[in-house]
Amino acid sequence: MKSLALRKALAAAGISLAALLANHGASLAQEAVFVIATNEVGAPTYNPIKASNLNIATTLLFDRLVSQDTDLSFHPWLAESWEEAPDGMSWIFHLKKGVKFHNGEPFNAETIAKWLELFKASENAYMTKAIAKVEVIDDATVKFVMSNPEPNLLYNFSSSYLSIIEPKSFVELGDNYGVTEVYGTGPFKLESFVVGQETVLVRNDDYAWASPLAKNRGPAKIAKLTLREIAEDSTAFLELKSGGVDMLLGVPTDFLTEIKAQDNLEVLTLPGQDVAYMPINVTKEPFTDIKVREAAAKAINQKEILDSVYGGVGEVANTFLISALPEADIDAKYKISYDPDRSNALLDEAGWAKGADGIRAKDGKPLKVSLWTQSDSSFRRLTEVVQAELKAVGIDSEITTFDSSAIRDQYKSGNQQLAVRSYNWDNADIIDWFFGGDRLGYPNVSMFNDPKAEELRAKAMTGSKNMAERIQNFKAYHEYVLSQFPMAPIYQPVTSVGYNKDRLVLPAEIHAPSVGATVIMDIEVKE
Amino acid sequence: MLAYAIRRIFMLVPVFLAVSVIIFLILHLLPGDPIDNLLKVGAPVEQRAEMMARYGLDRPLPVQYAIWLGKLLTGDLGTAIVARRPVADLIGQALPHSLALGGLALLFSSIVGILLGFVAALNRDRFLDRAIMGGVLLGSPLPSFWLGLLLILAFSVQLGWFPVSGARNWSSLVLPVLTIGLGGTALVARITRVSMIDIASRDFVMLLHAKGLSPLRIQLRHVLRHALIPVVTILALRIGWILGGAVTVEVVFARPGLGTLLIKALNQHDYPVVQASLLMLAMAVMLGTLFGDLLQAAIDPRVRGALA
Repeated sequence: MKSLALRKALAAAGISLAALLANHGASLAQEAVFVIATNEVGAPTYNPIKASNLNIATTLLFDRLVSQDTDLSFHPWLAESWEEAPDGMSWIFHLKKGVKFHNGEPFNAETIAKWLELFKASENAYMTKAIAKVEVIDDATVKFVMSNPEPNLLYNFSSSYLSIIEPKSFVELGDNYGVTEVYGTGPFKLESFVVGQETVLVRNDDYAWASPLAKNRGPAKIAKLTLREIAEDSTAFLELKSGGVDMLLGVPTDFLTEIKAQDNLEVLTLPGQDVAYMPINVTKEPFTDIKVREAAAKAINQKEILDSVYGGVGEVANTFLISALPEADIDAKYKISYDPDRSNALLDEAGWAKGADGIRAKDGKPLKVSLWTQSDSSFRRLTEVVQAELKAVGIDSEITTFDSSAIRDQYKSGNQQLAVRSYNWDNADIIDWFFGGDRLGYPNVSMFNDPKAEELRAKAMTGSKNMAERIQNFKAYHEYVLSQFPMAPIYQPVTSVGYNKDRLVLPAEIHAPSVGATVIMDIEVKE
Repeated sequence: MLAYAIRRIFMLVPVFLAVSVIIFLILHLLPGDPIDNLLKVGAPVEQRAEMMARYGLDRPLPVQYAIWLGKLLTGDLGTAIVARRPVADLIGQALPHSLALGGLALLFSSIVGILLGFVAALNRDRFLDRAIMGGVLLGSPLPSFWLGLLLILAFSVQLGWFPVSGARNWSSLVLPVLTIGLGGTALVARITRVSMIDIASRDFVMLLHAKGLSPLRIQLRHVLRHALIPVVTILALRIGWILGGAVTVEVVFARPGLGTLLIKALNQHDYPVVQASLLMLAMAVMLGTLFGDLLQAAIDPRVRGALA
């Protein structure tokens, strides 16, 4: 009798144990678990004014004035339309009506005025610095009087740092805003947030003001969205494979074939925002000679790298910008592509003659240069291929690897000759950031400081009245920089998103530069 | 005993100061600074100097150290430069997870290790002894992040028993605890075994046998008890070691904790967070040693006498 009771108890314990274990997956209806990209792991707050890094949840908690399509064109969001004065000295934004924050506060022109006032305390305040005065014309109309034309204003208003916060609770909550509580107008509300672990979001049922780029005009289809943070790529992949999560927002190239091999998994490819390139230090021998710089740049076989290192996934880079940007659409003669004959001819011309071992020399000095890279394995592999390609035209390079967090300080020494690195940005002002004469060392790894470039740079950065002018000016600056060969473009990766197609239905067409609010509005969970 | 404890605690003060200097210096001598992680593309050039001044990074190192130590002594760990939150909050969120993981791993390696060592010693030089010692030896040198991934593959992906990662419920603790615990088991088992064999050859054990006590009783009540003294010392030393060893395991299993916090902060050069995390780990080692010494003194009067 006693043993029977014991057995029963054991069986019951076993069943509840099994239930507990089975429950860990995301198996409930209209609930989904996403893993955020590894470079966003550890974002400590959802306070867009204070934060220095924000993750994808920010785009779901808050809305912005302007949204961006895949081709980086600008579209309405909380601003229904806008007008720019011909001289660029004022902007009028017409706001959507009936928009409410999560705490019930209304969104109107007054909100914009208060928010932009608060934004002045941000370290990103330069984004709205050109706005001298905010005039509230009526509830749904706001006018910005500018101190100087800012053709980049729409881009800034589409940035997640310019997510519109609720000013009243922002002031009341202080440092807790974005950590314990947060109120935006976005399609999801914050339920819980544990730094570095997970953020649980629940649907905002009142939501009816999505960007027109999303099909869904009502509230989101997903009722509860858990965003997990997993720093280790292999772990994230195993979670997706075992059904513990439904989507990985960033899949490294190494795992793509693994994911494609699984029947229930699918990869969504979006244009990336990265460019891998080889900066050439124009102040270091032998690269003070523009011929040697051009030779080194044209020795890089972009197509071969794309196929052999990245399995054909992504695009070659022939300019310094991602190809989606209008400023990347430059005159073909300035694009930098593989041309070994030209490379060899230039080196011969510059007096570097090929020796018996295939390495060039001039006045008895071999053409030996340093090639810096960072410790991540993907960089190591790419750098080794670059090294082999340089050798093919007779440039002997020696790879030095630095820790990723320390390499920026090494660049500041200015001792680099060649390097392999990459950046992530989707605006033409990145040329100013990496080639501006006042940022030598880092970010200007190429130590490029050219009077003509500086002139074009000033014109591009501050001398444009409107967007069309800005594009023209940046094109001219971009073309000139490329003509001086301070770097060689290599590769543009794509962003790969892995998901479980038995669980999620994604919209047929993606109208956003990355998976964010616009895409998630249209994602459905299979019941 | 009390006098011994007080003296032993006072000895921690110079150690603490030395550790704080080393932590501070190592970090600030590393190339790179947190400002690079704060500046956004498009930020004006002057902003760099402005921010250096705002966070006091433009002052001489000894001054920065004095300010940090002064605040530390009043219990203020400062505010994270990149993470923008009070460091005490970040540590407060991370520490319970690390303690739970470390504590359970320590418990696991103590129980399993002592048990295996005991069984091995009883079967000295026989097959079971060789099998156990060979087995634990195989387990100990495996890198923990690799062992962790293997365990995930076997128990989560293939068998589906435990979640792959996270820290939602107790079942997500099983694999990380095993990963850290298995490494420590080997050491504990070996020390238990050697120490038991050593004690078993002592005269007083011979006497107990002569008195006709049952061999199992002798082993359990007398030999094991004496043999545990070195084991306890080793275990206490491992308290800090286990917290530090959990760093990579936390990252592999995507668990919150000091390790994940430390690695993220190191990559961003977030000085206040790294300093505080390292200090916590160093304190764990110091307190572990202290605890081990006190425990040993409590068990063994000879130790108390030596310092007195």
